[in-house]
Amino acid sequence: MATDLTEKLKILADGAKYDVSCSSSGSSRANNGGIGNAASSGICHSWTSDGRCVSLLKILMTNRCIYDCAYCVNRSSNDTQRVALTPQEVAELTIGFYRRNYIEGLFLSTGVVRSPDYTMELLIQAVRTLRSEYRFNGYIHLKLVPGADPLLVQQAGLWADRVSVNLELPTRESLLLLAPDKSRDAVVGPMRQVSSLIVSNRAERKQSRKAPRFAPAGQSTQLIVGATPDTDRQIVTLSEQLYQRLELKRVYYSAFIPTVADSRLPARPETPLRREHRLYQADWLLRYYGFSAHELLDEASPNLDSELDPKTGWALRHLELFPVEINGASYEELLRVPGIGVRSAQRIIQTRRQGHLGIDDLTRLGIVMKRARYFITARGQYVGESGLESSSLRSRLVDAPKQRCPVQLSLDLEQPVVDETASLITGEL
Amino acid sequence: MSCCYSYDGTLAGLLTLYARLLPERVAVERISAVLLDQQSLFSSEICIVTELTVAEAFWQRLNSRLSDNSLKLLRRCLLADHPEQELLIYRYLLLEAEQGQRIDGMLAHPVVASAWKLTQQVGREAHRYLGFVRFQQLQGGIYYATITPDHRILLLIGSHFAQRFSDQQWIIHDQRHGEGIVYDCSSKEWLLLPMNQESQPEITPQEEQFQQLWRNYFQTLAVPERKNLKLQQGKVPLKVRACLTEFGGTI
Repeated sequence: MATDLTEKLKILADGAKYDVSCSSSGSSRANNGGIGNAASSGICHSWTSDGRCVSLLKILMTNRCIYDCAYCVNRSSNDTQRVALTPQEVAELTIGFYRRNYIEGLFLSTGVVRSPDYTMELLIQAVRTLRSEYRFNGYIHLKLVPGADPLLVQQAGLWADRVSVNLELPTRESLLLLAPDKSRDAVVGPMRQVSSLIVSNRAERKQSRKAPRFAPAGQSTQLIVGATPDTDRQIVTLSEQLYQRLELKRVYYSAFIPTVADSRLPARPETPLRREHRLYQADWLLRYYGFSAHELLDEASPNLDSELDPKTGWALRHLELFPVEINGASYEELLRVPGIGVRSAQRIIQTRRQGHLGIDDLTRLGIVMKRARYFITARGQYVGESGLESSSLRSRLVDAPKQRCPVQLSLDLEQPVVDETASLITGEL
Repeated sequence: MSCCYSYDGTLAGLLTLYARLLPERVAVERISAVLLDQQSLFSSEICIVTELTVAEAFWQRLNSRLSDNSLKLLRRCLLADHPEQELLIYRYLLLEAEQGQRIDGMLAHPVVASAWKLTQQVGREAHRYLGFVRFQQLQGGIYYATITPDHRILLLIGSHFAQRFSDQQWIIHDQRHGEGIVYDCSSKEWLLLPMNQESQPEITPQEEQFQQLWRNYFQTLAVPERKNLKLQQGKVPLKVRACLTEFGGTI
């Protein structure tokens, strides 16, 4: 282990870090006589200075790539140093980090070398080394290479806990524009295949508990937000379809930030990070709150409100449904009240069996009264400062703007050229 | 009349106290742990003398009486490190004696809510420490980690590490509470023991390299354009950083 490895790790981690997938949940692989197991809740081990969690050792096998996608740091026209790890090196790094409890497992991605099939085989070889030689039972997230042979895709799912292909751009046109070498079918093909393999594996496991698991933690994907003019409506509708038709576990959103972010540029109406945050909120509403995409966004308002979370936004458009009586509403109705989440809705249901709940009880149950107060009654009592009809309701619900830090005024004479293509976001496939 | 009570600071002592006070439904204002040699003649506290048989019988009774939910709550509250945990538990048990298993659904009751909140804190910290433990390989091959949690969470995280690292010798040392878990990989058993650190442990040269690799990797991973130190500090509070390799902490 020399400085050589340090250097390689640095370059390959740098290339992989724009993939936002981080979770290590959903698999409960047991430790059968080797090292490691998977915790079904997932465990975060640390958080970097951008506030994102470190759960898996996220690296590329190699950052060499034959493709030239405009949004990617590893594109072939980018002038960076190109290195590669051997399967042995990947395994040793993973085990070394894992034994010290730095990580929960491995996230292995790669640039495409020679051909998709060749690259996919490299990845599988590394994972196989880990699983059979090192008897590693921890979490492994493996990237699928678009265009790889279906047989290789199937093998990948048998070794890994979660597999993923990144869709990257929500529409066919955007993909054509920014990633001319990748066709949408080459990306969606493996996703469809994985989805049907998961379904058939579930049936097999019902027949026999000994049938090997195929991708027990399912599959995920990632979408870039803000690099193309796609609307939130297109994105959220796509996510909904992915969850419903392909049974994806997660869709990740990655805000497109040009590398040269400059405070001297005119302030944009909404920051990309805020938009990303709102999309995640909408995503949660789809998966856990029983909302559908068309309820959150429609033709008339194709983008999410940056000032309000999507649930509050929905509630304000449907004031006729409120206020809801806490002691009588069904679980589904409670879930739709701003300020009540899955846990607090469950607690309300559990607690009100013992007797009616008053307003004071709700705070103790963990309900965010700041938002909920306008939309609920408890034993008929309403405690919002203004009624639902009030015109100031919206402004009361919008988060108070943060106070600006004083800054020194200065004249900036040099205006750097902003290269929109030299951008961040996702590393690779 | 409400009173202040004290016990000798052991679990048996506390259980004896509960066994004595609960049946009488005594109103209690304060319960404090007073070590034997610090007991004073003139204090107004009533000292409950530990009796092992009483404590054991009481613990058996609790185990058969309480619902799974209440037992879990009780266990976690006992592991907490909170100035009023004895009193919180006492009030909870008092209410439980009155309400029976109905108490599981009384989350909005002030007594239940405060005990529940403490339970949540302990559970949450235990989960967080599944990630925050950092082992260092010492000369001789043992993996050693130090932690400084607010609550005594070792008993809650022991089995997780025993399953995960079943083929390595490891020790997790809670420096704040002076206790630690020792795992023996030949017998596959772990033990909670009182523990003190007397000398700086020696680490292997390979360990040094891995720590350096990990620090470099961690630095690389941050996306500078998304810098958000406030969010980071919410997730990794300063108090835990002393024991985290990537934040420059060593044993």
